[in-house]
Amino acid sequence: MKRIMTAFVFLLACLAATAQEVTLTVEAPESAVAGERFRIIYTINSTDGQFTPPKFDPSFSVQGPQQSTSRNVQWINGDMKAVSSTTLIYYVSVGAPGTYTIPAAQFETKKITVSSQEKQIVINAGASAQQAPGQQQGQARAAGDAPASGSEVSMKILLSDREVYAGEPLTGTLKLYTRINLSGIQELKLPDFKGFLKEDIETPPLRSLETEVIDGIQYGTGVIQRFVLYPQIPGELRIDPAEMTVLVQERTGARDPFFDDPFFDSFFSSVSTVPRKITTQPLTVRVKPLPEPRPADFHGAVGSFTIESSISGTDAKLNDAVTMTVTLKGSGNLNLSGEPVISFPQGIEKYDPKVTVRSSGTSSGTKVFEYLLIPRNTGAFEIPPVSYSVFDPKEEKYVTLRAGGFTVNVTGTPGDEESAAPVYIPGEDVKYLGQDIRFIRNGKTRLVTLSSPLVSTLHYWLWFALALFIAVLVLVVRKQQIRRNADTAGLRNRRAAKNARKRLARATSLLKSGNKEAVNAEVARALWGYLGDKLRMAQSDITREKCYSALRERKADEDMITELDRILTATEYSQYAPVSEGESPEALVERAAALIGKLDGVLD
Amino acid sequence: MKRILLIQIILMAGIVSLAGQSPEERYLQAGGLYGSGDFSGAAAIYRKLWEEGFRSEDLLYNAGNAFFKSGDNASAILFYERAKLLAPADEDIDYNLQIARSRITDRFESVPQLFFVRWFDFLALLASTNLWAVSALVMFLVALMLALVFLTRARARGRLLSFWLAIAALLLSFLLISLALRNNNLVNHNSKAVITCSIVTGRSAPGETGNELFVLHSGTTVIVEQELGAFREVRLPDGNKGWIRSDCMENL
Repeated sequence: MKRIMTAFVFLLACLAATAQEVTLTVEAPESAVAGERFRIIYTINSTDGQFTPPKFDPSFSVQGPQQSTSRNVQWINGDMKAVSSTTLIYYVSVGAPGTYTIPAAQFETKKITVSSQEKQIVINAGASAQQAPGQQQGQARAAGDAPASGSEVSMKILLSDREVYAGEPLTGTLKLYTRINLSGIQELKLPDFKGFLKEDIETPPLRSLETEVIDGIQYGTGVIQRFVLYPQIPGELRIDPAEMTVLVQERTGARDPFFDDPFFDSFFSSVSTVPRKITTQPLTVRVKPLPEPRPADFHGAVGSFTIESSISGTDAKLNDAVTMTVTLKGSGNLNLSGEPVISFPQGIEKYDPKVTVRSSGTSSGTKVFEYLLIPRNTGAFEIPPVSYSVFDPKEEKYVTLRAGGFTVNVTGTPGDEESAAPVYIPGEDVKYLGQDIRFIRNGKTRLVTLSSPLVSTLHYWLWFALALFIAVLVLVVRKQQIRRNADTAGLRNRRAAKNARKRLARATSLLKSGNKEAVNAEVARALWGYLGDKLRMAQSDITREKCYSALRERKADEDMITELDRILTATEYSQYAPVSEGESPEALVERAAALIGKLDGVLD
Repeated sequence: MKRILLIQIILMAGIVSLAGQSPEERYLQAGGLYGSGDFSGAAAIYRKLWEEGFRSEDLLYNAGNAFFKSGDNASAILFYERAKLLAPADEDIDYNLQIARSRITDRFESVPQLFFVRWFDFLALLASTNLWAVSALVMFLVALMLALVFLTRARARGRLLSFWLAIAALLLSFLLISLALRNNNLVNHNSKAVITCSIVTGRSAPGETGNELFVLHSGTTVIVEQELGAFREVRLPDGNKGWIRSDCMENL
């Protein structure tokens, strides 16, 4: 009996094995976000039996199940094969994060009871657990940025904001959403972000996908690239689509009608990798211009910052370097923030600051400006407080940050530079700030009334004519006078010999009267008269010496001059000496007449 | 009747008191207005003084400044150019004129004047027309006297010297006359004009029918070549010529 019993049991078991093995599988995500809906799917390859749902944790809010059954009857080689399956879908959401266990469900047929596996599920606390990108996902989703439903693989650029001020940093995340298996990604082509300055954030390479449920559909998601964008120009800036090729695993070949089961897929169907190109939707970002007027100490910093200043020492030695450090801290466009302008006092040589930016991956961090200062004079130098304006996009206004100034006491004697080499102090070119016209002349001025110029009046030119006329008149008169003078002289010249002979003739007639003095006087007068006329000299200023030099000038013989001298002496002598001395008057008259004849040949 | 007379007397008194302000006082008043920032008020007084026939390099320089500050670059250039005619060596005028020129629209590759023309003009402007004229007359008289000496002193020792001196004085006199004429030309009959309309078209013929050749903007200095009706032919700094409405320019 016992043997029969065992045989029966064995037979039964065989029957069950050949007819159908009942299985109950459960599909549930390994992780989910708190508050988000996810699916738990139970699949049973049987229709006749009793399904006992698991005892869900009380914090699970469960909807469903949504039940569907399918039945598939096939005739092969005269044998009938009936395959039926039941699918139950529960929509579950969990409020509190934590690790939960989904207990086993049971399925009871007439012959056998099967139970499903227990599943562990990690519920993440939405924002805080998933860090920055997760937060952006949340925001993006809230803004309706969910992947296009229906597409199996898609990609999105998620922006932290769609309306920003120029220069305000903007975080972008390029994210992949997929509902199918991918074996890899290729050829990521980012757009050129026209109008933006892009800075990549170091993103770990995509290894595994996270599970995310969006609108009830579960996606595998992964961050491909994160970056910070600094809009440079105001206006509607368009971000062109990014392109990427993903390698999709596609099932090829016939599906096994019996084992329509993911577990068996890998065994019975062949899978091939197919590249598929995916693109993002173009986006627009509205960039608002920074409000005007900008403060003078605004150097392009947009964000929320604080500023600090420090100095290496307030007591310095002459020509020893002092470092002043200005630290800009906060979140914003650190890289594009210009250096603060500090008007260092004269006597302190300033070098261009050393700038270091330390940012923590995103747009927040510190920017350090190190000013190397070398005091070139002794004394107390006042470094004014640093004033640096930034634009705060949250408050939409300029905020002026201030950091303390310092007083540096410089000691030392100018002469004792440690090295003998002369210190070269470079001169600095004068800085020109602007250009303007020079100021007016405010003193008194001599206002001259406009008068017609002399050159355009006739009387001015008449003056020239008058002057010329007078000059010509003077010239004419003078010329006439000269000519007249010249005429009288010529007359005298021509008549000189004649007059002299007349006088000598009178002297001869006087001889008869015996008046010796009168004869001598007449001879002298004849000679002097002749010489005066011929040499053009007035009788009043004629002397013997003048006569002789004039005669010599006219190339007269020396004999003639001696003869003349003798005759003149004789006449003078006989005039004043007693009578009967010297020559007879007759001889004197003859000699005088002979001399005049000779002189007439020389003088003309 | 009596009342009318009284009113008339009061009116007359008012006019007299207005007119009683001497030109120098008005000049200083304009300087005060300029200092307090009322540039257009100052410019109006300076212009009035100019129109009444008062001349002084300071007046014209200040007028240029006042016009520049009140935004009228064309008038500023006009007055700086006028001031330059009275004080060609004044560095402030040159500087301000250059700044005013840098603010106007038209830019030209100007054809530079020949250096001796430039020097001669500069020399001519160093003294007033009448000073040149009087010195030319004096120099002519000197030349005549030296000529008389040469012609009458037949045997005098300095005859040759007086001849050369006479020639030199005569040449100098001619030079002075030409300087006087040039100065008169530059100061009183200058052919330069400054465009005052903000934009004006230069055409190939007088009238509105000629082909359009160029467009000028206010502040550009042109040289007037001839006038026909309401149009003037102007030469641009780069040497091109065209006809422009006369009311769009103001002579120096």
